Amino acid sequence: MMDVKRVISTIERKYIKNNLKKEERFDGRGLWDYREFKITPNFVASAEGSADVSLGETRIITGLKYDIGTPFPDLPDEGVCTIMAELIPLASPLFERGPPDEQSIELARVVDRGIRHADCVQTKKLCIEAEKAVYILFVDMYVINYEGNLIDCGGVSALTTLISAQLPEGKWNGEDVEWTGGYFTGKDIVNELPLVITYGKIDDIIFLDPDLPEELVCDGRISISSTEEKITSIQKSGIATFSFDEIKMLCNKSLEIGKKLRKDLNLWQYKANNE
Amino acid sequence: MVLLIKDEYPEKLFQENGKRLDGRDKKELRPIKMEVDILKNADGSAYIEWGNNKIFAAVFGPREVHPHHLSKPDRGVLRVFYRMATYSVFDRKRPAPGRREKEISMIIADCLEPVLFLELYPGTAFEIFIEVIDADGGTRCASTTVASLALADAGIPMKSLVTALAVGKIDGELVVDLSGIEDKAGEADLPIAITWFNDEISLLQFDGDMDLAELDTVLKDAKEAAEKIYEIQVNTLKDKYISIQKNIENEKGGED
Repeated sequence: MMDVKRVISTIERKYIKNNLKKEERFDGRGLWDYREFKITPNFVASAEGSADVSLGETRIITGLKYDIGTPFPDLPDEGVCTIMAELIPLASPLFERGPPDEQSIELARVVDRGIRHADCVQTKKLCIEAEKAVYILFVDMYVINYEGNLIDCGGVSALTTLISAQLPEGKWNGEDVEWTGGYFTGKDIVNELPLVITYGKIDDIIFLDPDLPEELVCDGRISISSTEEKITSIQKSGIATFSFDEIKMLCNKSLEIGKKLRKDLNLWQYKANNE
Repeated sequence: MVLLIKDEYPEKLFQENGKRLDGRDKKELRPIKMEVDILKNADGSAYIEWGNNKIFAAVFGPREVHPHHLSKPDRGVLRVFYRMATYSVFDRKRPAPGRREKEISMIIADCLEPVLFLELYPGTAFEIFIEVIDADGGTRCASTTVASLALADAGIPMKSLVTALAVGKIDGELVVDLSGIEDKAGEADLPIAITWFNDEISLLQFDGDMDLAELDTVLKDAKEAAEKIYEIQVNTLKDKYISIQKNIENEKGGED
């Protein structure tokens, strides 16, 4: 049952590495294959938008709540979209209780940057009245089961949540926000579909979508977010080093894989019906 | 789907035809669905959908106690961590655990401890993590029910399962299994848990007003309703073993 270990033995490390050299993996995938994505939108009735996304055995449930607040002084006509991640101890014996640690902050920030810098959420449409009232969106990711590569699973999860969102429409009456009784949906605020794609690296072998044993063995990871044409954010983590050529190769690969994944997942099918 | 904009309470909790707002009779439970062995990393796990409630529970243990000073030399300790996701309620909950969550964690731990043989596991801890993903009234009862199922799934020796539900009074009528809105707008709310090995009550809270006759009736109703939930719990566990048995038979069949 409980087969998660903090330490991977030398033999297992060698086994995983040798397999990867032969372009073989535990679960029969090739070096550039994803595990299967499973998406259930609107999983949580209490949330304004939500998604239950599995990548292989990794599972993240994300929900969206909103609040009305005053905008930042330097961006008076833009709403705010914040992303948070909780690695709860239910998901893995590797996670501990307590305030967010480095790993959960990294997850939230990498997903956030991928979405923020891709012009994905049109924050200007989240403004009710400049300098007075804007929507503040909270996208909160809860990891339910941890089997490696939280970042890619989280990226799809956050994006599906935003797309499936349905928010009450507010209007400024001179003093306060008044609800019009209408709604706007994820379709109105989401512009681009940035996907974050993570690679692991052991020695000089690079592979897509590390699962848990691979993630524990690998020297480092690189996560690349891209839209249809552009790279929008990169995060290298771990102690591995990447050559210039490798980075160039991975960026090209990300655009290619991203294109295919975007088509396969077809995330727009999860948009809320505004009837 | 109609979104609520304000957390408004309706004036009446019964419809014209005498049914409750969600169409139930007074003694009718909301639909309940349970699953076990749903989280692969835990020693035991369970998931429950009870009306709109969606709750996961994971059990780890027996394992080392952290922090160490909490361990007891003559027995194991049971620790329960009940948490709600920020998006599980109407107004976004702050991510850090609040006073309510800590109290409920303690209540659930006290409620489950009588069915365990903790004296057999000195110096170790059993930890139950409960995550409420969606909440709609009666989460502490649903959590207790699902936690006892997760303990059983982990194969930890138990005297019996534990079943919990809330009963109460709305618009002057006694009902079982209060929904979120009935809990907030009703007159009385009484969460209760039953340990089946001795048919006794191991969790009991009460807020509101009732006279003694009403209290007596409502406790009887609670027992009756709990028996129905207990049946679902047992069947959920049975189904797991039946499916394992079938898998083994299929494998054997393939070899022949």
